[in-house]
Amino acid sequence: MILSKNYIISSKLIGLIFALCLIFFKVEDSYSSIIFVLVMLTIGIPHGSVDHIIAFINPASRRFKSKLSFFTVYLSLIILNIIIWIFSPYLGLFTFLLVSCYHFGEAQVIGFNNTKNKLLNFVLGANILLSLFLNNIFELQIILIDLTLFSSIDLSTFDKTFFLLVSVAVLMISVVHFKIEKKVPLYAEMSILYLIFYHTDILTSFSIYFGFSHSLPMLLLEYKEMKEKNFFSFYVKTLPFTTLAIIFGIILYYFNNDLLTANNLILFTFIVISSLTLPHVFIMKDFVENK
Amino acid sequence: MNTLNFIIGASLQPGDFTGFTFFIGSVSMLAATVFFLVQHGQVDKKFKDSMLVAALITGIAAVHYYYMRDQWAEGLGSPTELRYVDWILTVPLMVVEFALLTGVGMAKLFWLSVVMLVTGYFGESGVTGMLDAQSWGAISGIAYFIMAYEVGCLRVFSDGAPSGAVGDALANAKGKIPSAGRMLQWFVLVGWAIYPLGYMMGTDGWYSGAVAALGWNMDIVYNIGDAINKIGFGMAVWSAARD
Repeated sequence: MILSKNYIISSKLIGLIFALCLIFFKVEDSYSSIIFVLVMLTIGIPHGSVDHIIAFINPASRRFKSKLSFFTVYLSLIILNIIIWIFSPYLGLFTFLLVSCYHFGEAQVIGFNNTKNKLLNFVLGANILLSLFLNNIFELQIILIDLTLFSSIDLSTFDKTFFLLVSVAVLMISVVHFKIEKKVPLYAEMSILYLIFYHTDILTSFSIYFGFSHSLPMLLLEYKEMKEKNFFSFYVKTLPFTTLAIIFGIILYYFNNDLLTANNLILFTFIVISSLTLPHVFIMKDFVENK
Repeated sequence: MNTLNFIIGASLQPGDFTGFTFFIGSVSMLAATVFFLVQHGQVDKKFKDSMLVAALITGIAAVHYYYMRDQWAEGLGSPTELRYVDWILTVPLMVVEFALLTGVGMAKLFWLSVVMLVTGYFGESGVTGMLDAQSWGAISGIAYFIMAYEVGCLRVFSDGAPSGAVGDALANAKGKIPSAGRMLQWFVLVGWAIYPLGYMMGTDGWYSGAVAALGWNMDIVYNIGDAINKIGFGMAVWSAARD
Protein backbone atom coordinates (compact mmCIF):
# COMPACT_ATOMS: atom_id res chain seq x y z
CA MET A 1 0.00 0.00 0.00
CA ILE A 2 1.42 3.36 -1.02
CA LEU A 3 1.38 5.95 1.76
CA SER A 4 -0.88 9.01 1.52
CA LYS A 5 2.21 11.18 1.86
CA ASN A 6 3.66 9.67 -1.32
CA TYR A 7 0.45 10.37 -3.21
CA ILE A 8 0.58 14.01 -2.18
CA ILE A 9 4.27 14.49 -2.99
CA SER A 10 3.93 12.75 -6.38
CA SER A 11 0.96 14.93 -7.36
CA LYS A 12 2.77 18.10 -6.40
CA LEU A 13 5.96 17.06 -8.19
CA ILE A 14 3.97 16.46 -11.38
CA GLY A 15 2.55 19.98 -11.01
CA LEU A 16 5.99 21.46 -10.41
CA ILE A 17 7.47 19.77 -13.48
CA PHE A 18 4.50 20.91 -15.54
CA ALA A 19 4.87 24.48 -14.26
CA LEU A 20 8.62 24.57 -14.91
CA CYS A 21 8.03 23.29 -18.44
CA LEU A 22 5.54 26.10 -19.04
CA ILE A 23 8.05 28.64 -17.72
CA PHE A 24 11.13 27.31 -19.54
CA PHE A 25 9.42 26.63 -22.86
CA LYS A 26 7.74 30.04 -22.65
CA VAL A 27 4.26 28.78 -23.42
CA GLU A 28 2.19 31.75 -24.53
CA ASP A 29 -0.57 33.05 -22.27
CA SER A 30 -3.00 32.39 -25.11
CA TYR A 31 -2.80 28.68 -24.24
CA SER A 32 -3.86 29.26 -20.65
CA SER A 33 -7.57 28.72 -21.44
CA ILE A 34 -6.80 25.30 -22.95
CA ILE A 35 -4.65 24.36 -19.95
CA PHE A 36 -7.41 25.54 -17.61
CA VAL A 37 -10.14 23.57 -19.40
CA LEU A 38 -8.02 20.41 -19.59
CA VAL A 39 -7.04 20.55 -15.93
CA MET A 40 -10.59 21.29 -14.79
CA LEU A 41 -12.13 18.50 -16.86
CA THR A 42 -9.58 15.81 -16.04
CA ILE A 43 -8.67 16.59 -12.42
CA GLY A 44 -10.51 19.60 -10.99
CA ILE A 45 -14.13 18.57 -11.40
CA PRO A 46 -13.53 14.79 -10.99
CA HIS A 47 -12.04 15.32 -7.51
CA GLY A 48 -15.45 16.55 -6.37
CA SER A 49 -17.44 14.04 -8.40
CA VAL A 50 -17.35 11.28 -5.83
CA ASP A 51 -18.68 13.43 -2.97
CA HIS A 52 -21.84 11.28 -2.93
CA ILE A 53 -19.68 8.23 -2.15
CA ILE A 54 -17.14 9.94 0.12
CA ALA A 55 -19.95 11.35 2.29
CA PHE A 56 -20.94 7.82 3.27
CA ILE A 57 -17.53 6.21 3.67
CA ASN A 58 -16.67 7.33 7.17
CA PRO A 59 -19.51 6.33 9.54
CA ALA A 60 -18.09 8.46 12.36
CA SER A 61 -18.52 11.66 10.42
CA ARG A 62 -21.67 10.64 8.55
CA ARG A 63 -24.06 13.56 8.43
CA PHE A 64 -26.70 12.25 6.05
CA LYS A 65 -29.37 9.67 6.76
CA SER A 66 -29.91 8.80 3.12
CA LYS A 67 -28.78 9.59 -0.41
CA LEU A 68 -31.95 11.65 -0.83
CA SER A 69 -31.09 13.92 2.07
CA PHE A 70 -27.53 14.20 0.77
CA PHE A 71 -28.57 15.27 -2.72
CA THR A 72 -31.23 17.64 -1.35
CA VAL A 73 -28.70 19.48 0.81
CA TYR A 74 -26.00 19.35 -1.89
CA LEU A 75 -28.20 20.78 -4.67
CA SER A 76 -29.76 23.35 -2.33
CA LEU A 77 -26.33 24.75 -1.54
CA ILE A 78 -25.51 25.00 -5.26
CA ILE A 79 -28.77 26.81 -5.99
CA LEU A 80 -28.33 29.07 -2.95
CA ASN A 81 -24.88 30.08 -4.18
CA ILE A 82 -26.20 30.98 -7.66
CA ILE A 83 -28.99 33.07 -6.10
CA ILE A 84 -26.40 34.93 -4.02
CA TRP A 85 -24.36 35.68 -7.15
CA ILE A 86 -27.45 36.94 -8.99
CA PHE A 87 -28.55 39.32 -6.25
CA SER A 88 -25.17 40.43 -4.97
CA PRO A 89 -21.98 39.61 -6.91
CA TYR A 90 -19.95 41.09 -4.06
CA LEU A 91 -21.55 38.78 -1.53
CA GLY A 92 -21.12 35.87 -3.98
CA LEU A 93 -17.45 36.63 -4.37
CA PHE A 94 -17.03 37.12 -0.62
CA THR A 95 -18.72 33.78 0.12
CA PHE A 96 -16.58 32.02 -2.49
CA LEU A 97 -13.39 33.52 -1.09
CA LEU A 98 -14.32 32.71 2.49
CA VAL A 99 -15.23 29.11 1.74
CA SER A 100 -12.29 28.60 -0.64
CA CYS A 101 -9.79 30.00 1.85
CA TYR A 102 -10.79 27.39 4.37
CA HIS A 103 -11.03 24.54 1.89
CA PHE A 104 -7.74 25.23 0.09
CA GLY A 105 -5.90 25.71 3.37
CA GLU A 106 -7.34 22.51 4.80
CA ALA A 107 -6.11 20.50 1.81
CA GLN A 108 -2.77 22.32 1.76
CA VAL A 109 -1.98 21.50 5.38
CA ILE A 110 -2.27 17.71 4.84
CA GLY A 111 1.16 16.13 5.12
CA PHE A 112 2.52 19.03 7.16
CA ASN A 113 0.15 19.11 10.12
CA ASN A 114 -3.24 17.71 11.13
CA THR A 115 -6.28 19.60 9.89
CA LYS A 116 -7.71 20.33 13.35
CA ASN A 117 -6.51 23.92 13.62
CA LYS A 118 -9.31 25.67 11.72
CA LEU A 119 -7.68 29.08 11.93
CA LEU A 120 -4.46 27.74 10.42
CA ASN A 121 -6.43 26.13 7.59
CA PHE A 122 -8.14 29.40 6.87
CA VAL A 123 -4.97 31.50 7.08
CA LEU A 124 -3.05 29.19 4.74
CA GLY A 125 -5.84 29.16 2.18
CA ALA A 126 -6.15 32.94 2.46
CA ASN A 127 -2.41 33.25 1.81
CA ILE A 128 -2.62 31.07 -1.30
CA LEU A 129 -5.52 33.02 -2.76
CA LEU A 130 -3.99 36.35 -1.75
CA SER A 131 -0.77 35.46 -3.53
CA LEU A 132 -2.61 34.13 -6.59
CA PHE A 133 -4.60 37.35 -6.85
CA LEU A 134 -1.82 39.79 -5.93
CA ASN A 135 0.68 38.31 -8.36
CA ASN A 136 -1.87 38.62 -11.15
CA ILE A 137 -3.73 41.67 -9.90
CA PHE A 138 -3.74 43.59 -13.16
CA GLU A 139 -5.36 40.65 -14.95
CA LEU A 140 -7.79 40.22 -12.08
CA GLN A 141 -8.96 43.80 -12.46
CA ILE A 142 -9.89 43.03 -16.08
CA ILE A 143 -11.69 39.80 -15.16
CA LEU A 144 -13.63 41.50 -12.36
CA ILE A 145 -14.40 44.58 -14.43
CA ASP A 146 -18.05 44.29 -13.36
CA LEU A 147 -17.01 44.83 -9.74
CA THR A 148 -16.18 48.50 -10.25
CA LEU A 149 -15.21 49.06 -6.63
CA PHE A 150 -12.19 46.83 -7.22
CA SER A 151 -11.49 47.25 -10.94
CA SER A 152 -11.38 51.05 -10.72
CA ILE A 153 -8.53 51.13 -8.17
CA ASP A 154 -5.50 52.79 -9.75
CA LEU A 155 -2.54 50.45 -9.29
CA SER A 156 -0.35 51.93 -12.01
CA THR A 157 2.29 53.17 -9.54
CA PHE A 158 2.97 49.61 -8.34
CA ASP A 159 4.84 46.91 -10.24
CA LYS A 160 4.42 43.13 -10.04
CA THR A 161 7.44 42.72 -7.75
CA PHE A 162 5.75 44.84 -5.10
CA PHE A 163 2.80 42.48 -4.98
CA LEU A 164 5.07 39.42 -4.75
CA LEU A 165 6.90 41.09 -1.87
CA VAL A 166 3.61 41.82 -0.09
CA SER A 167 2.38 38.25 -0.50
CA VAL A 168 5.66 36.73 0.73
CA ALA A 169 5.79 39.13 3.68
CA VAL A 170 2.22 38.30 4.66
CA LEU A 171 2.97 34.59 4.41
CA MET A 172 6.06 34.85 6.61
CA ILE A 173 4.34 36.94 9.24
CA SER A 174 1.19 34.84 9.35
CA VAL A 175 2.73 31.37 9.25
CA VAL A 176 5.60 31.88 11.64
CA HIS A 177 3.47 32.20 14.77
CA PHE A 178 1.45 29.03 14.23
CA LYS A 179 2.43 25.72 15.74
CA ILE A 180 2.94 23.53 12.67
CA GLU A 181 4.59 20.12 12.75
CA LYS A 182 6.52 20.66 9.50
CA LYS A 183 6.55 24.42 9.25
CA VAL A 184 9.62 24.86 7.05
CA PRO A 185 8.65 22.32 4.35
CA LEU A 186 5.19 23.91 4.27
CA TYR A 187 6.68 27.37 3.88
CA ALA A 188 9.09 26.07 1.23
CA GLU A 189 6.27 24.52 -0.79
CA MET A 190 4.29 27.73 -0.65
CA SER A 191 7.35 29.64 -1.88
CA ILE A 192 7.36 27.42 -4.97
CA LEU A 193 3.67 28.14 -5.49
CA TYR A 194 4.38 31.87 -5.26
CA LEU A 195 7.16 31.54 -7.82
CA ILE A 196 4.69 29.89 -10.20
CA PHE A 197 2.01 32.50 -9.50
CA TYR A 198 4.47 35.26 -10.32
CA HIS A 199 5.73 33.80 -13.58
CA THR A 200 2.47 32.53 -15.08
CA ASP A 201 -0.80 34.28 -15.85
CA ILE A 202 -3.81 33.99 -13.55
CA LEU A 203 -5.58 31.14 -15.37
CA THR A 204 -2.42 29.04 -15.64
CA SER A 205 -1.51 29.82 -12.01
CA PHE A 206 -4.93 28.75 -10.86
CA SER A 207 -4.87 25.65 -13.08
CA ILE A 208 -1.51 24.50 -11.73
CA TYR A 209 -2.39 25.18 -8.11
CA PHE A 210 -5.94 23.88 -8.27
CA GLY A 211 -5.08 20.91 -10.44
CA PHE A 212 -1.83 19.59 -9.04
CA SER A 213 -1.52 21.02 -5.56
CA HIS A 214 -5.16 20.67 -4.54
CA SER A 215 -7.31 18.42 -6.72
CA LEU A 216 -4.90 15.65 -7.74
CA PRO A 217 -3.72 14.90 -4.17
CA MET A 218 -7.36 14.84 -3.04
CA LEU A 219 -8.34 12.65 -5.97
CA LEU A 220 -5.61 10.17 -5.08
CA LEU A 221 -6.60 10.23 -1.41
CA GLU A 222 -10.18 9.51 -2.42
CA TYR A 223 -8.99 6.60 -4.58
CA LYS A 224 -7.06 5.19 -1.63
CA GLU A 225 -10.01 5.64 0.73
CA MET A 226 -12.50 4.03 -1.67
CA LYS A 227 -10.28 0.94 -2.02
CA GLU A 228 -11.04 0.45 -5.71
CA LYS A 229 -9.28 -2.32 -7.65
CA ASN A 230 -7.29 0.11 -9.71
CA PHE A 231 -7.21 3.81 -10.47
CA PHE A 232 -9.02 3.37 -13.78
CA SER A 233 -12.11 1.82 -12.19
CA PHE A 234 -12.08 4.59 -9.60
CA TYR A 235 -11.76 7.27 -12.26
CA VAL A 236 -14.71 5.82 -14.19
CA LYS A 237 -16.82 6.38 -11.08
CA THR A 238 -16.05 10.10 -11.22
CA LEU A 239 -17.28 10.42 -14.81
CA PRO A 240 -21.09 10.53 -14.37
CA PHE A 241 -21.04 13.52 -12.01
CA THR A 242 -18.21 15.20 -13.94
CA THR A 243 -20.45 15.03 -17.01
CA LEU A 244 -23.41 16.32 -15.00
CA ALA A 245 -21.34 19.23 -13.71
CA ILE A 246 -20.32 20.16 -17.27
CA ILE A 247 -23.94 19.96 -18.47
CA PHE A 248 -24.98 22.09 -15.48
CA GLY A 249 -22.41 24.73 -16.46
CA ILE A 250 -23.49 24.78 -20.11
CA ILE A 251 -27.21 24.99 -19.27
CA LEU A 252 -26.56 27.76 -16.76
CA TYR A 253 -24.55 29.67 -19.35
CA TYR A 254 -27.22 29.53 -22.04
CA PHE A 255 -30.13 30.30 -19.75
CA ASN A 256 -28.56 32.87 -17.49
CA ASN A 257 -29.93 35.78 -19.58
CA ASP A 258 -27.15 38.01 -18.33
CA LEU A 259 -28.34 37.52 -14.74
CA LEU A 260 -24.89 36.41 -13.65
CA THR A 261 -22.56 38.13 -16.09
CA ALA A 262 -22.59 39.40 -19.63
CA ASN A 263 -19.74 38.48 -21.99
CA ASN A 264 -17.33 37.51 -19.21
CA LEU A 265 -16.73 33.81 -19.63
CA ILE A 266 -13.93 33.64 -17.07
CA LEU A 267 -16.06 35.24 -14.35
CA PHE A 268 -18.94 32.95 -15.31
CA THR A 269 -16.68 29.92 -15.02
CA PHE A 270 -15.62 31.04 -11.56
CA ILE A 271 -19.27 31.39 -10.55
CA VAL A 272 -19.89 27.80 -11.66
CA ILE A 273 -16.79 26.63 -9.80
CA SER A 274 -17.85 28.49 -6.67
CA SER A 275 -21.30 26.87 -6.89
CA LEU A 276 -19.76 23.41 -7.14
CA THR A 277 -17.24 24.21 -4.42
CA LEU A 278 -19.68 25.28 -1.70
CA PRO A 279 -21.26 21.86 -0.95
CA HIS A 280 -17.97 20.04 -1.74
CA VAL A 281 -16.21 21.92 1.08
CA PHE A 282 -18.48 20.46 3.74
CA ILE A 283 -18.00 16.91 2.48
CA MET A 284 -14.23 17.32 2.34
CA LYS A 285 -14.11 18.80 5.84
CA ASP A 286 -15.21 15.45 7.25
CA PHE A 287 -13.14 13.45 4.78
CA VAL A 288 -9.80 15.04 5.59
CA GLU A 289 -10.26 15.03 9.35
CA ASN A 290 -7.19 13.48 11.00
CA LYS A 291 -5.36 13.15 7.70
CA MET B 1 22.92 23.16 -31.34
CA ASN B 2 20.45 25.15 -33.40
CA THR B 3 17.79 22.58 -32.67
CA LEU B 4 17.93 23.58 -28.99
CA ASN B 5 17.42 27.25 -29.71
CA PHE B 6 13.71 26.96 -29.05
CA ILE B 7 14.57 26.62 -25.35
CA ILE B 8 17.01 29.49 -25.16
CA GLY B 9 15.49 32.71 -26.47
CA ALA B 10 18.63 34.63 -27.37
CA SER B 11 22.32 33.79 -27.70
CA LEU B 12 25.12 35.56 -25.85
CA GLN B 13 27.43 37.68 -27.96
CA PRO B 14 31.14 36.75 -28.13
CA GLY B 15 33.12 38.57 -25.40
CA ASP B 16 30.02 39.30 -23.31
CA PHE B 17 31.54 38.57 -19.91
CA THR B 18 28.54 39.87 -17.95
CA GLY B 19 26.21 37.63 -19.93
CA PHE B 20 28.56 34.73 -19.32
CA THR B 21 28.32 35.24 -15.54
CA PHE B 22 24.53 35.05 -15.84
CA PHE B 23 24.94 31.74 -17.68
CA ILE B 24 27.46 30.44 -15.12
CA GLY B 25 25.11 31.56 -12.35
CA SER B 26 22.25 29.60 -13.88
CA VAL B 27 24.10 26.34 -14.50
CA SER B 28 26.01 26.40 -11.21
CA MET B 29 22.75 26.91 -9.29
CA LEU B 30 21.18 24.06 -11.24
CA ALA B 31 24.16 21.79 -10.55
CA ALA B 32 24.03 22.72 -6.85
CA THR B 33 20.30 21.92 -6.78
CA VAL B 34 20.93 18.44 -8.18
CA PHE B 35 23.77 17.93 -5.71
CA PHE B 36 21.69 18.96 -2.69
CA LEU B 37 18.77 16.80 -3.81
CA VAL B 38 21.03 13.78 -4.20
CA GLN B 39 22.59 14.48 -0.79
CA HIS B 40 19.09 14.83 0.69
CA GLY B 41 18.79 11.06 0.48
CA GLN B 42 22.17 10.49 2.13
CA VAL B 43 22.01 12.68 5.23
CA ASP B 44 20.55 12.00 8.67
CA LYS B 45 16.79 12.51 9.04
CA LYS B 46 17.19 15.66 11.15
CA PHE B 47 19.06 17.40 8.31
CA LYS B 48 16.71 16.42 5.50
CA ASP B 49 14.64 19.61 5.67
CA SER B 50 17.83 21.70 5.66
CA MET B 51 19.08 19.97 2.51
CA LEU B 52 15.70 20.34 0.85
CA VAL B 53 15.66 24.06 1.61
CA ALA B 54 19.24 24.39 0.31
CA ALA B 55 18.14 22.72 -2.94
CA LEU B 56 15.11 24.96 -3.13
CA ILE B 57 17.19 28.12 -2.70
CA THR B 58 19.52 27.23 -5.57
CA GLY B 59 16.62 25.84 -7.62
CA ILE B 60 14.66 29.09 -7.42
CA ALA B 61 17.84 31.02 -8.23
CA ALA B 62 18.56 28.73 -11.23
CA VAL B 63 15.12 29.52 -12.68
CA HIS B 64 15.66 33.26 -12.25
CA TYR B 65 19.23 33.24 -13.56
CA TYR B 66 17.96 31.45 -16.64
CA TYR B 67 15.49 34.31 -17.12
CA MET B 68 18.12 36.95 -16.34
CA ARG B 69 20.55 35.50 -18.86
CA ASP B 70 17.82 35.59 -21.46
CA GLN B 71 16.88 39.19 -20.67
CA TRP B 72 20.52 40.25 -20.79
CA ALA B 73 21.17 38.39 -24.07
CA GLU B 74 18.17 40.07 -25.68
CA GLY B 75 19.71 43.44 -24.85
CA LEU B 76 17.00 44.43 -22.38
CA GLY B 77 19.53 45.65 -19.80
CA SER B 78 20.16 44.81 -16.18
CA PRO B 79 17.46 42.47 -14.83
CA THR B 80 16.83 44.29 -11.53
CA GLU B 81 13.21 43.17 -11.24
CA LEU B 82 14.11 39.51 -11.63
CA ARG B 83 16.86 39.88 -9.05
CA TYR B 84 14.35 41.23 -6.58
CA VAL B 85 11.93 38.39 -7.31
CA ASP B 86 14.75 35.93 -6.65
CA TRP B 87 15.81 37.62 -3.42
CA ILE B 88 12.26 37.98 -2.12
CA LEU B 89 11.78 34.23 -2.45
CA THR B 90 15.23 33.01 -1.40
CA VAL B 91 16.29 35.32 1.46
CA PRO B 92 13.58 34.02 3.85
CA LEU B 93 14.60 30.48 2.94
CA MET B 94 18.23 31.23 3.75
CA VAL B 95 17.13 32.67 7.08
CA VAL B 96 15.14 29.52 7.71
CA GLU B 97 18.35 27.45 7.56
CA PHE B 98 19.45 28.98 10.86
CA ALA B 99 16.16 28.07 12.48
CA LEU B 100 16.40 24.53 11.09
CA LEU B 101 19.90 24.01 12.46
CA THR B 102 19.17 25.49 15.88
CA GLY B 103 15.43 25.19 16.39
CA VAL B 104 15.20 28.77 17.66
CA GLY B 105 14.68 32.29 16.41
CA MET B 106 12.55 31.65 13.34
CA ALA B 107 9.92 34.25 14.19
CA LYS B 108 12.45 36.97 14.94
CA LEU B 109 14.53 36.26 11.82
CA PHE B 110 11.42 36.18 9.63
CA TRP B 111 10.26 39.55 10.94
CA LEU B 112 13.69 41.07 10.44
CA SER B 113 14.00 39.76 6.90
CA VAL B 114 10.52 41.14 6.10
CA VAL B 115 11.61 44.59 7.33
CA MET B 116 14.92 44.33 5.45
CA LEU B 117 13.31 43.35 2.15
CA VAL B 118 10.27 45.62 2.28
CA THR B 119 12.14 48.78 3.28
CA GLY B 120 14.92 47.96 0.78
CA TYR B 121 12.32 47.71 -1.96
CA PHE B 122 10.61 50.93 -0.86
CA GLY B 123 13.93 52.75 -1.03
CA GLU B 124 14.93 51.44 -4.43
CA SER B 125 11.53 51.80 -6.11
CA GLY B 126 10.38 55.05 -4.45
CA VAL B 127 6.88 53.60 -4.56
CA THR B 128 5.75 55.08 -1.23
CA GLY B 129 6.57 58.70 -2.02
CA MET B 130 7.72 59.02 1.58
CA LEU B 131 11.31 59.28 2.85
CA ASP B 132 14.32 59.16 0.54
CA ALA B 133 16.37 56.15 -0.60
CA GLN B 134 18.97 56.76 2.10
CA SER B 135 16.42 56.65 4.94
CA TRP B 136 14.76 53.48 3.68
CA GLY B 137 18.21 52.02 3.12
CA ALA B 138 19.17 52.87 6.69
CA ILE B 139 16.09 51.10 8.09
CA SER B 140 16.80 48.09 5.88
CA GLY B 141 20.45 48.14 7.00
CA ILE B 142 19.47 48.25 10.67
CA ALA B 143 17.29 45.16 10.17
CA TYR B 144 20.23 43.44 8.46
CA PHE B 145 22.63 44.29 11.28
CA ILE B 146 20.18 43.12 13.95
CA MET B 147 19.81 39.89 11.99
CA ALA B 148 23.59 39.54 11.75
CA TYR B 149 23.82 40.08 15.52
CA GLU B 150 21.02 37.61 16.17
CA VAL B 151 22.79 34.82 14.27
CA GLY B 152 26.04 35.57 16.08
CA CYS B 153 28.11 37.18 13.31
CA LEU B 154 30.27 39.03 15.84
CA ARG B 155 31.47 35.62 17.03
CA VAL B 156 33.56 35.26 13.86
CA PHE B 157 35.97 37.75 15.44
CA SER B 158 35.91 36.43 18.99
CA ASP B 159 34.16 33.51 20.67
CA GLY B 160 33.27 35.72 23.62
CA ALA B 161 31.57 38.39 21.49
CA PRO B 162 27.89 39.12 22.22
CA SER B 163 25.30 37.29 20.17
CA GLY B 164 21.57 36.72 19.83
CA ALA B 165 19.76 33.52 20.75
CA VAL B 166 20.41 31.88 17.37
CA GLY B 167 24.16 32.50 17.61
CA ASP B 168 24.21 31.04 21.14
CA ALA B 169 22.29 27.99 19.99
CA LEU B 170 24.69 27.49 17.09
CA ALA B 171 27.71 27.67 19.39
CA ASN B 172 26.22 25.21 21.88
CA ALA B 173 24.93 22.71 19.31
CA LYS B 174 26.35 19.19 18.98
CA GLY B 175 28.36 17.65 16.16
CA LYS B 176 29.47 19.71 13.20
CA ILE B 177 26.76 22.34 13.59
CA PRO B 178 29.01 24.92 15.37
CA SER B 179 31.60 24.84 12.56
CA ALA B 180 28.89 24.98 9.90
CA GLY B 181 27.32 27.82 11.86
CA ARG B 182 30.60 29.70 11.76
CA MET B 183 30.64 29.41 7.95
CA LEU B 184 27.07 30.65 7.75
CA GLN B 185 27.95 33.60 9.98
CA TRP B 186 30.76 34.55 7.58
CA PHE B 187 28.33 34.36 4.68
CA VAL B 188 25.87 36.66 6.42
CA LEU B 189 28.54 39.14 7.48
CA VAL B 190 30.65 39.29 4.33
CA GLY B 191 28.66 37.64 1.55
CA TRP B 192 25.40 39.40 2.30
CA ALA B 193 27.20 42.75 2.50
CA ILE B 194 27.23 42.94 -1.30
CA TYR B 195 23.48 43.56 -1.28
CA PRO B 196 23.47 46.79 0.78
CA LEU B 197 26.63 47.88 -1.06
CA GLY B 198 24.94 47.26 -4.39
CA TYR B 199 21.86 49.11 -3.11
CA MET B 200 23.91 52.16 -2.16
CA MET B 201 25.85 52.16 -5.39
CA GLY B 202 22.89 51.44 -7.60
CA THR B 203 20.44 53.95 -6.16
CA ASP B 204 20.35 57.33 -7.86
CA GLY B 205 21.28 60.22 -5.64
CA TRP B 206 23.38 58.09 -3.35
CA TYR B 207 26.68 56.52 -4.42
CA SER B 208 25.64 55.69 -7.97
CA GLY B 209 28.52 57.85 -9.22
CA ALA B 210 30.97 55.60 -7.39
CA VAL B 211 30.08 52.63 -9.61
CA ALA B 212 30.87 54.62 -12.73
CA ALA B 213 34.09 56.00 -11.19
CA LEU B 214 35.28 52.52 -10.23
CA GLY B 215 34.24 51.11 -13.55
CA TRP B 216 32.42 48.24 -11.80
CA ASN B 217 29.62 46.30 -13.34
CA MET B 218 27.22 45.58 -10.50
CA ASP B 219 25.66 42.69 -12.42
CA ILE B 220 28.96 40.82 -12.33
CA VAL B 221 29.35 41.57 -8.60
CA TYR B 222 25.82 40.35 -7.90
CA ASN B 223 26.13 37.27 -10.10
CA ILE B 224 29.35 36.07 -8.52
CA GLY B 225 28.23 37.10 -5.03
CA ASP B 226 24.85 35.41 -5.41
CA ALA B 227 26.40 32.14 -6.59
CA ILE B 228 28.87 32.09 -3.70
CA ASN B 229 26.24 33.04 -1.12
CA LYS B 230 23.54 30.63 -2.19
CA ILE B 231 25.65 27.62 -3.08
CA GLY B 232 28.04 28.29 -0.18
CA PHE B 233 25.13 28.53 2.22
CA GLY B 234 23.92 25.11 1.14
CA MET B 235 27.43 23.67 1.25
CA ALA B 236 27.84 24.89 4.83
CA VAL B 237 24.63 23.14 5.81
CA TRP B 238 25.72 20.01 3.93
CA SER B 239 29.04 20.01 5.78
CA ALA B 240 27.12 19.86 9.07
CA ALA B 241 24.81 17.17 7.76
CA ARG B 242 27.31 14.67 6.36
CA ASP B 243 28.83 12.03 8.58
